Amino acid sequence: MVKRIAYFDASHDFPEQIAMAAGLEPYKILGNVHEPNDPADQYLQSFLCPAARSMLTEALTGDQDWEGIVIAHGCDATNRFYDIWKRHVDTDFLYWFYNPLNDTPSAINFFKVELKRMKDVFERQFDVSITDDKLWAAIKLSNDIKGRLQELSTMRAVKDIPNRDYFNACVQAVQMPRKELLSSLDETINDWKGRDAFPADKSPVLLTGSDVTYVEWMDTLDDAGLRVVRDDLSIGERYFARLIPHPSEGDPLDSIIQYHVTIPRPATKNPPEPRLDYLMNAMEESNLNMVISQNLKFCEPYAFDSVFTVNALKEKGYQVIHLEREFSPTKDMSLRTRLEAFREMATTNRVEKHSRL
Amino acid sequence: MSGSMETKNASPERVRVRNLPSTGKLKGIMMRYMLKSKIVELFRRKSAWVTAGFPVEICYVYGVHPLHPENSACISGARKYSLELIEHAESLGFSRDLCSYFKTNVGATEKGIKLKQGGIGKPTFMGSTNTICDTHVKWFQIQARRMEVPYFGFDIPSAVAGTGDARMEEYIDYVVAQFYDFFDFMEDLTGKKITEKKFQEVLRKSDKLCELWHEIYKYRKDVPTPVAFQDTLAAIFPMVLLPGLDVGIKYYQALLKDIKERVAEGKGAMPPGKEKYRLIFEGIPMWYRIKFFHELANYGAVVTYEPYTFSFGPRKRLGLPLDESLRDFARLMIDVPYNYSLEKRIEYFEQVIDEYNIDGVILHSNMSCRPSCSGMLDLKKSIQRDKGIPVWVMDCDQNDPRSYAEGPMKNRMESFIELLEQNKE
Ligand code: SF4
Ligand code: SF4
Repeated sequence: MVKRIAYFDASHDFPEQIAMAAGLEPYKILGNVHEPNDPADQYLQSFLCPAARSMLTEALTGDQDWEGIVIAHGCDATNRFYDIWKRHVDTDFLYWFYNPLNDTPSAINFFKVELKRMKDVFERQFDVSITDDKLWAAIKLSNDIKGRLQELSTMRAVKDIPNRDYFNACVQAVQMPRKELLSSLDETINDWKGRDAFPADKSPVLLTGSDVTYVEWMDTLDDAGLRVVRDDLSIGERYFARLIPHPSEGDPLDSIIQYHVTIPRPATKNPPEPRLDYLMNAMEESNLNMVISQNLKFCEPYAFDSVFTVNALKEKGYQVIHLEREFSPTKDMSLRTRLEAFREMATTNRVEKHSRL
Repeated sequence: MSGSMETKNASPERVRVRNLPSTGKLKGIMMRYMLKSKIVELFRRKSAWVTAGFPVEICYVYGVHPLHPENSACISGARKYSLELIEHAESLGFSRDLCSYFKTNVGATEKGIKLKQGGIGKPTFMGSTNTICDTHVKWFQIQARRMEVPYFGFDIPSAVAGTGDARMEEYIDYVVAQFYDFFDFMEDLTGKKITEKKFQEVLRKSDKLCELWHEIYKYRKDVPTPVAFQDTLAAIFPMVLLPGLDVGIKYYQALLKDIKERVAEGKGAMPPGKEKYRLIFEGIPMWYRIKFFHELANYGAVVTYEPYTFSFGPRKRLGLPLDESLRDFARLMIDVPYNYSLEKRIEYFEQVIDEYNIDGVILHSNMSCRPSCSGMLDLKKSIQRDKGIPVWVMDCDQNDPRSYAEGPMKNRMESFIELLEQNKE
């Protein structure tokens, strides 16, 4: 029987491989935008992150057969809400993992301390021995998954892949049991290979900002003629852009650390430059012109970052729109109109730019 | 409390809260500090922007002049400039939902307002921590990039509920390692090496301030209280910015002398017989609307304890070797009232309620300060259940006057007072 361990992290902060090496299937809690947040709202005011409130609602109301829950540090919603989960969520095992803010040598040393502690706690809690071999196997399996996602990701720019298809594949990657996942991703690769070419009536864009956790928002972009072919989201490239180093010898925990400090960094980390570097590289690498920057209402880390990020991208000559989004699956016609106008303007600018060359 | 309450009482007669005579001295201290800030800027001496929760003492060890954007922002708020500055920051694209201190600071630096309006000079570097909020990190990342100065961010692991001793020691190891990183950073910047003697001297002065602060707080247990929030809200300034100097120590000694005299005469901060309800106020006050506390006083309600001002004064252990001192310091950065776990926060409040004879609690549910508001609803329920006293979760903002609606606030204050009255009966 599949044993699941659920986790709540603000981006991609949970070291899944330790759970996998303990024989558990990691399940990323994403909340449910279709359900009202009333259960969580008894404990959290409405001006606190709605995605995080929805995740708490999922934990409070779900009948999940989770072996336990890990909350991994990212933004204030993780550390400040942990205690509320501890008081109100019915679970046998709630664990706090501190993924450091910085990427300095001191932070890396501490990361190792935290990983070792988590490994020890998991060994005791689940009565297993987490050997290096098991960790390397988990790393290999993770890389196999990430490799397939990379393959899917590159198809976005050349095939007709609606945003929702890409989003759903990424959600599967963080929620589905690993073994089923591999075959499902293989099927998706085959399916996508047979798709038509990138549609002429769509424009390729890069999507950045708060993590998108529900498919309807991705549909809105498609409705406006915008195809996400690059991104730096956790339900997206942040999760698979890098593989976990797999040297012939060494400590698997060091590889996990190295992986975490080199993935596309979220706005919750310091220093902020690597996040922008990743975006700039992606734009150049994929020869893109348009950026959709968005932040979920009350998501502070991305709201803070947006001004600098948007200005820096604009200075580079890219067409950028920034949006604040509600946590809602409802189709927003005015948003769609704005996006269409942006697309039209950006496309015209690009044509003009090229005709001047 | 419900949100739709009618005004039931006519405005009460005005009650004057008496400031301690020595409170007036603070103005001179602040003026001298501002003058020094100006000189530092003009002569390009070393200075740093720091936030609450940052070990400002280390600046004094290296002879770096500390500047405090939160403090400057509250000056802008108190002098009624904050709205204009916040709106300016919003016009640059910063969201309405971001911390109003941050936006006040962005507006202040963009517009180059005067120090006495809450302006602040460009520093040599910026230093903050994530111990209280993400904002402190994001704020300085943004401003350091804009001003092209280096930034040092302390990463302080969160001691969530149930953090055991062994794990706490690991957290401390990590923070101590960052102290040494910070010393390297400071050496590169100032060309000076840390001397243990100077470190101990600064620590001693810092602790002396805190010792006096604790003594002031001890007297606040008296009924009537000799000191109200009207004094303490500004009096924290030396702990925030002058912990390495004697000037704050002298000021606190003068305050204590006043307090002792008041107590000896049996007098309180409120006129005789007027202290009816003793309150805790949790959170940052609304700087643009300090009148709120005077209005409370008109109903006989006096704020007798504020975790916010108490948090600035943790006692340090003295006479330890450097490494041990740093461990102690690290512990204080991880575990002080403003970042207590929910369990500990509830325990802390309930203890204060008993020790300070508290009749009611106002929890500032501050739109700017999401981290401090997290857990507030549990805190409210626990206090009501365990202590049986009224708790008002007050929705507002510390520096953005747009969030303060006069009519509804007045109604809610009156309803709260009625609850206090009924509860006393
Ligand atoms: S959406 Fe933003 S505020 Fe919410 S959990 Fe994610 S990073 Fe934190
Ligand atoms: S008001 Fe709150 S969010 Fe803003 S700087 Fe202060 S502690 Fe941080």
